[in-house]
Amino acid sequence: MPLAIYIGRRLVFLVVALFGVSLITFVVTRVLPGNPAYLIVGVQADESTVEAVIERLGLDRPIIEQYGHYMRQIFSGDLGDSWRTKNPVTTDIGVRWPATIELASAAAILAVAWSVPFGIVSALRRRSLSDRLANVASGMGVSIPEFWLGIILILVFFFHLDFAPAPIGRSLGTVPPDVTGLYTLDSVIAGDWGALRSALAQLALPAITLAVTTGAPLLRVTRGFMRETMASHHIRSARALGVPERSIVLRHALPNVLLPVSTMAAMMYGYLLGGTVLVEFVFAWPGIGKYAIDSINASDYAPVLAAVLLSACSYIIVYLIMDILHFIIDPRTRT
Amino acid sequence: MSAPDGLAAAAPGPADLGASDRAEVPVLDVLDLTVGFGPAAKRRSIPLQGIHLQVAASERMALVGESGSGKSLTAAAVLGLLPYGAEVIRGSIRLDGEELIGASERRLRELRGGRMAIMFQNPRASLNPVLTVGGQIAEVIRVHGDAGRKESWTQAVDLLSEMGIPDAGRRAKDYVHQYSGGMAQRAALAMALSCRPDLLIADEPTTGLDATLQQQVLELVVEQVGSRNASLLLITHDIAVARSHCERTTVMYAGRVMESGPTSSVTGSPKNPYTGALLKAFVTVDQRRMYAIGGTVPTLVGELSECAFADRCPLAAAECRDGVPELRPIEDRHVACVKA
Repeated sequence: MPLAIYIGRRLVFLVVALFGVSLITFVVTRVLPGNPAYLIVGVQADESTVEAVIERLGLDRPIIEQYGHYMRQIFSGDLGDSWRTKNPVTTDIGVRWPATIELASAAAILAVAWSVPFGIVSALRRRSLSDRLANVASGMGVSIPEFWLGIILILVFFFHLDFAPAPIGRSLGTVPPDVTGLYTLDSVIAGDWGALRSALAQLALPAITLAVTTGAPLLRVTRGFMRETMASHHIRSARALGVPERSIVLRHALPNVLLPVSTMAAMMYGYLLGGTVLVEFVFAWPGIGKYAIDSINASDYAPVLAAVLLSACSYIIVYLIMDILHFIIDPRTRT
Repeated sequence: MSAPDGLAAAAPGPADLGASDRAEVPVLDVLDLTVGFGPAAKRRSIPLQGIHLQVAASERMALVGESGSGKSLTAAAVLGLLPYGAEVIRGSIRLDGEELIGASERRLRELRGGRMAIMFQNPRASLNPVLTVGGQIAEVIRVHGDAGRKESWTQAVDLLSEMGIPDAGRRAKDYVHQYSGGMAQRAALAMALSCRPDLLIADEPTTGLDATLQQQVLELVVEQVGSRNASLLLITHDIAVARSHCERTTVMYAGRVMESGPTSSVTGSPKNPYTGALLKAFVTVDQRRMYAIGGTVPTLVGELSECAFADRCPLAAAECRDGVPELRPIEDRHVACVKA
């Protein structure tokens, strides 16, 4: 199947999925209790003022009509306004999403860097020290809640050791001139090494927290696939014909393991890009997750919807990119 | 069970077992091979006990037996690739006179694919799905010689075409999912024979192939092994396959050798009651009812102290339980049965 048809089909699926996500989120936010009109006019306002606001916002219309209106808005590139921040949602997201992208990317890189090699090595020798360590690490990583780990890291590395900076957002010093919105990249572009150090220091603890909790399942999956592959018939055959162990692991087994593991890593990254609510909260990280939570608490419909759509969108797009890469790399999908 | 020394005295030596009419050293010489699973405690299982097996130069030997009789485990032991937890308790395995038990991993790796090679059942699973077929063959060639990339690739293509794969130059660049089962087995044979081994072990090479292909693949294996003057150890549960393709046959049951000799006499006039029962169970077209051997295979925990087949044997008598029957020469073959 040619790549173009494949991508086309996946894009159609993307649109369908986004429609579904938007519809469900729209209905859920409208059905939940909480009246945004009070947010706008204040709780002391008299009934007629509230009624007027409700009518102005179109909240008295049937839900299908409201949804239709919202979709028309989206297609003209408008995600609505936040009643809480008084800004267009696109502006708010434009400010906050880079923070999430930066944190998610750092966490994903760290997670893959520790869990995938560890999973590969621990799968090679059953009941070896690395195998036992991997057992402990994956078990703990999967069962420790990330907000708790975040708090412990703050306690140890900020309060007691004074090793890490205060967990109050993305930067304590000067913010580099905005190019990509990612402070680390922007500092490199500006050549401002002080700002880079500050940005990395702020990034370290939340990124490590997420890398531990998302890396643990990745470690399990990597180890599982590696064990399975090493026990497969084709590895047995290669070994029985004298192929050296180094080539068995690196040339024969690894590609078979990295294909499914990269899919899993992409899913993890897509999930992180949608905002990591608890960790952003603990570290006062001004990302999409924190924005969504603040908006939910305020019954601020438009940002909630936008955050959910963005989350779904980033998940599906990252997954799609990985799928296309596999389509190119994996010989089995080429013919 | 007698000690190795006592057994060596009672059992025939390597020179006159299996290869009595040949003066040269057998290509494969397995003597008293005993393999255990698990820690060396009382209840460890003994899936192979006192295996004797000789394959002479350019001879085709069939290794016949039910599932679980230890055929494939014997092959794994020969290659030095016993599964996790299994170890050789005693015995000797010689390839061209060279002892393999206790040989270094490095030396074994040189011999595997170099002087002894194996092809397995289910050929499509035996080739790596993400490497080209030609690339896999070329790698085996490079590992065992000093051919470079280009040269090994050319050799791989030549081998594929020798095995009857049309348009081999192009097909070598394909992956295994683009091959049919029969073609994949031809490729696996090409890979196994790529370094001109003295011994090819074919472990149920036609299992999982279409019935129409089985004959073709077997004929190709026999022909290619013959043209290289190599020896063949053909593992099969199908006595008909042994009959039509191998000069000699060794029958295994419950981890021991029951009978071994020229195929025509072993399958024509079996001396071991187990061989007889196995032949009776072999279904023919005009048969009305399938014959089944009564009873079940013994559990292989601990070393046996009696004939493994005694519980199911129609001829079983008291003396069958006095000890494990030695493999002793009778006429043109060797039989492990006190009644023979």
